Amino acid sequence: MKPKLILGIIAIVAFTSLLLYNFGESISTYTDFEKAETMKSAHVPGTWESERDYGFSRETMQFSFYMKDESGEVKKVIYSKPKPNNFEQADRLVVIGEMRNDIFYASEMLMKCPSKYNATDAESYGAQPVAAGIQGK
Amino acid sequence: MEGIIGKWLINASFVSAIVSLVFYGLAAREDDIKKIKWAHVFFTLKGLFLLMASVVLVKLIFDHQFQYYYVFNYTSLDLAPKYLWSAFYGGQEGSFMLWILFSWISGFMLIKWTRDPYRAPVMFFLVLTQVFLISMIVGWKWDGFNLGASPFRTIAEEMPDAPFIQANPDFVPADGSGLNDLLKSPWMMIHPPVLFIGFAMMTIPYCFAMAALWKRKYNEWVSPALPWTLGANLALLTAIFLGGYWAYITLSFGGYWAWDPVENASLVPWLIGTAGIHTMIIQRKSAVAQKSSLLFAILAYIAIVYETFLTRSGILADSSVHSFVDLGLYNQLLIFMLVVIIAGLGMFFYRYKELPSPDQEHGVLTREFMTVSGAMALFILGAVIILGTSSPIIGLLFNENPTPPEISFYNDWSMPIAIVMALMTVIGQMLFWQKHDSESLSTALIQPLMVTSFVTILAIMIYDVRNFYYMFYLFAGFFAITGNLWVLIRLAMKQPKLIGGTTTHVGFGLLLVGILFSSAYNSPLLDPRTADYNERVLAGEVTDEQGFRVSQTVEMLELKLNTPKILNGRYEVNYGGYSIDNQNRPGQQTYALSFKDLKTDRVFYMNPEVYPMLTTSTADNIQWSVDPDVRTGWLHDIYLYVAGSSYIEKVNNRNATNAVMQNVSDSADSLSQNTMSIEQVVSFRRGENKELGPYIFRFNDFIMVDSTDVPNERGVGVRAQIDFTHIPSNTQYSLEPLFAVYNEDGESYTASFPVNIEAYELEVRFTKLDPENDSIELTIVGLPEGLEDEWILIVAEKKPLISVVWAGTFLLLIGFSISIFRHWGRERKLSV
Repeated sequence: MKPKLILGIIAIVAFTSLLLYNFGESISTYTDFEKAETMKSAHVPGTWESERDYGFSRETMQFSFYMKDESGEVKKVIYSKPKPNNFEQADRLVVIGEMRNDIFYASEMLMKCPSKYNATDAESYGAQPVAAGIQGK
Repeated sequence: MEGIIGKWLINASFVSAIVSLVFYGLAAREDDIKKIKWAHVFFTLKGLFLLMASVVLVKLIFDHQFQYYYVFNYTSLDLAPKYLWSAFYGGQEGSFMLWILFSWISGFMLIKWTRDPYRAPVMFFLVLTQVFLISMIVGWKWDGFNLGASPFRTIAEEMPDAPFIQANPDFVPADGSGLNDLLKSPWMMIHPPVLFIGFAMMTIPYCFAMAALWKRKYNEWVSPALPWTLGANLALLTAIFLGGYWAYITLSFGGYWAWDPVENASLVPWLIGTAGIHTMIIQRKSAVAQKSSLLFAILAYIAIVYETFLTRSGILADSSVHSFVDLGLYNQLLIFMLVVIIAGLGMFFYRYKELPSPDQEHGVLTREFMTVSGAMALFILGAVIILGTSSPIIGLLFNENPTPPEISFYNDWSMPIAIVMALMTVIGQMLFWQKHDSESLSTALIQPLMVTSFVTILAIMIYDVRNFYYMFYLFAGFFAITGNLWVLIRLAMKQPKLIGGTTTHVGFGLLLVGILFSSAYNSPLLDPRTADYNERVLAGEVTDEQGFRVSQTVEMLELKLNTPKILNGRYEVNYGGYSIDNQNRPGQQTYALSFKDLKTDRVFYMNPEVYPMLTTSTADNIQWSVDPDVRTGWLHDIYLYVAGSSYIEKVNNRNATNAVMQNVSDSADSLSQNTMSIEQVVSFRRGENKELGPYIFRFNDFIMVDSTDVPNERGVGVRAQIDFTHIPSNTQYSLEPLFAVYNEDGESYTASFPVNIEAYELEVRFTKLDPENDSIELTIVGLPEGLEDEWILIVAEKKPLISVVWAGTFLLLIGFSISIFRHWGRERKLSV
């Protein structure tokens, strides 16, 4: 084999392994509150507990609410930004941040919204007749 | 009825497509003129049927036939006609139709302008992709097995098990569920069509590459495929720009790019297409890069189909903010993608051994080497981004439930690649137009390098850049701008038709510089107190109640009505109240903020909005959406949105109270009884509204009155038309207090007559008229004491040099357009 070709292959292998290594490092796994205790930055999916207190405090400039993770555990979440758009609409949330002393401090939040772009579940549809005034004809 | 016609039209279109596919296949194999004529006939029919089906769908939408699921799901009675029109392609099914229609139109152009022997095989592959696309909307069902989802399915077909369908199978909703408010934007109207033009055009280089592999003609395809690839890139970049600009001015994340999977998925085909353009251009000139041209043409379309798969199969559900409705097309999309990949790469490797190779080796300092390396760099960047975007799939190698990579993954990898690209563009462009050895090249680079160094140092000083990596990146960016500008000016004097490529490279340099400044030097506008708090947070001096260190800075601030604050030592910002508007979006508040630039003493105004999301709000549960205001400038933009206000808080409290205390009918009254009554004088400009405790007063206009209303006949009177709202109960009254001036015994008197609002024990008098300022004064008795001030929370950011990002994008678009004209003009002459 030509030395050029070997060099090329080494370069490609080195680049690919570095890329994959770094990719593996930068992705994380979805988890729950319990496991998040030991993690530095955790992605916790869950649903908003709408019965509990929530809202933005003007004294602390923080938004807080309660979230139930996928293992059914409910914890308080504090987010130091304004309440995100569509917060109440979201049927699922992903909070990204760290767990400290039973409170989850989120630095980022993702809302999965049953918006026009991606809602088809029959549940939100079944609730529609009241809101949109569906009538029999 | 129309729905059944629509379904049959799609079926007819599907069958015609298959027939024309067979004829094109036979024609391509046997080079048979008669067969290709039949193929053209069925190709035309296919499109006509689909066009008619689209007309039917548009008619259903405009007729508000809500028994059709598509019409119900994407439109409503109150939707403006332009958005009804855009609802046609607002959903998955309709957007497939639009894509097919554009692909059909490009097919006609291919029939007209493609030379043999490529014509039949090119059309064969084009129709093959269309057969797959139409199969997504035929909506055939055999027990348990579905082929596609028809845009003409009714609600009863969509969910036969729903209780309201079981009760009444023929029911028709009174109104549709409407279009998402965020999408009601002119930018979002044109974004999808432009994107699908790009998709349709990017299919064509793939078809040409496949035809070349089939017919074993590996060189001639490049010339006709090049203008299509350029056109596809122009359309894709326009679509990306529209999407980014829309996100910037509409959404509250405050940027034009967030490395969201859907955004990435639009960028990757563009990057690979651009790689293909590089290799095609150099293949035409010097008979090199034959293999990579074929490969990139194939991969660019694979990237488009892969993007379609990611966004439409539901696989990105967790990682992207905007993917399409999952229509259960996963398997079908997967097969489509696999066919495109296996056919494309399969043919490529099947023919690999006989593919031509360059007849001579080219050194590093040649245009051949530089252009191919540039293409490789673009391809590598595309591959990195695909890897990140594919985290739901490739991430499974690392853990069971992978999240998307951190944003830093994209930034860390794209920055060095961009630096290498920027440096290469200049050397590549210099070598492209003139032969150089290392010595003459260094000489030619001296002047651009001097200018670059000067500009870089200047930028570092002005923007106080301290990060060495950024300095180097900036140097590379400015080098791309000046170096390519150097080449551009020389070229424009000699051969102005050829400046397309160089123009895009200048644009690329501008884009790099703009991206760094607008993202890394983006700064929040804060008052001194918040800024000081943030400094203490960063120094680790702030702890919360439990003694933990607070690590997050605050990037918003509160403004009280008419109490200015000074932000970043530069702007004096005053909040001057809000007005409620029911015209555009019912319940929308427009907040008035004035900014005084203390450096220049210039004053400007910003009017961010907050509105209830109509599609998801109910009277008792309003979901607010913000509409930021952006003040654009050459040196920086100011971006601002209202994150909360006393009005919103009161409305939310009212709804919470309604929900909890449904039985306490007069809770609002008991509230007002607890407070002392005082007299208060408030002035209003015409059209202004003010929030006073639980009430809003709005002074609409004057009403002139005739003299009979005035106590003394020699007097004159005027009424003020006031809209009154009690926020907790949302009760509204219209008041018309009278103000009169009259003469008695040679002296003039003014008189004002109280108007009572008994429900709230209020008395309102119109006590002063100030015609010069177009304002009035009301004296109100009965307002609760110790009114809480009206306040708003704002998030404001200063974003430097976003204009440069746009300028770079526009130069790229202009450069691509110039190149299209050049290559297309040549092709058209050849094909006549």
